[in-house]
Amino acid sequence: MDCPDCLERLYAYLDRELKPDEVTEVRAHLDDCGGCDDNFVIEQRFLARVRDCCTEDKAPAELRTRIVTQLRMDHDAPR
Amino acid sequence: MAADPFESEALSFLDALYRTGLRMTRSEAEAEDLVQETYIRAFRFREQFRPGTNLKAWLFRILTNTFINQYRRKAARPETTVLDDVEESILYRHMRDVSPGSSSPDPEAELIDKTISSEVKDALEALPEKFRTTVLLDVEGFSYKEIAEMLDIPIGTVMSRLHRGRKFLQKRLYDLARDRGIVAARAMPRPAD
Repeated sequence: MDCPDCLERLYAYLDRELKPDEVTEVRAHLDDCGGCDDNFVIEQRFLARVRDCCTEDKAPAELRTRIVTQLRMDHDAPR
Repeated sequence: MAADPFESEALSFLDALYRTGLRMTRSEAEAEDLVQETYIRAFRFREQFRPGTNLKAWLFRILTNTFINQYRRKAARPETTVLDDVEESILYRHMRDVSPGSSSPDPEAELIDKTISSEVKDALEALPEKFRTTVLLDVEGFSYKEIAEMLDIPIGTVMSRLHRGRKFLQKRLYDLARDRGIVAARAMPRPAD
């Protein structure tokens, strides 16, 4: 595997979407190529940062109350 | 009322549905309505859910469909952001930059960690809707296949939207970092320019 092949698989690799034999090939290339390995590390860090930022928000407590109340009303209503 | 396992499990995804709805609609009030509507539909059609399958994915499918059907149509703000062909030039840079013995990724890594959470969210909300939705579903941990099923698009489209969406985010965050003066000569996952 050369560098362009490796970079083409960058996201699929980081997203754990590659087939096992492709994972082995990518890992072998990363072991040999510091440049690609750096890119993978940076991208991985970027994806983790986006995930952390986007998963920190919580729903307002009153929304939960509103939903539960609504569901109970729907449930109790005659069909 | 006796505890309803479906209800408690469904409600355990409230935060995830809300934060995704918030980024989709870009409005707290609309996100709340969207999530409430999602739960109402989920309970109305609960017999269509097959126990043992992924309830989170099922709920997100309802959320996404509801958003697309109701909110996309009446989107007040037209999509003005165009995703240019940053993709190829960035890939090109990647390839060009790849050379054995290049310096450590630490400066870039440090920059990424310094990126302010609100900037990441703003950058995400600036993404055109199709790209935004795809990236958000990825953030919630769904596989390419699950996202493809939810959005009713081929897996290849999921991959290209993720790729372009992420490159757009990187460019935007890089530009912000540059404006704030925290980017030196080289940094961040290669901006387009």
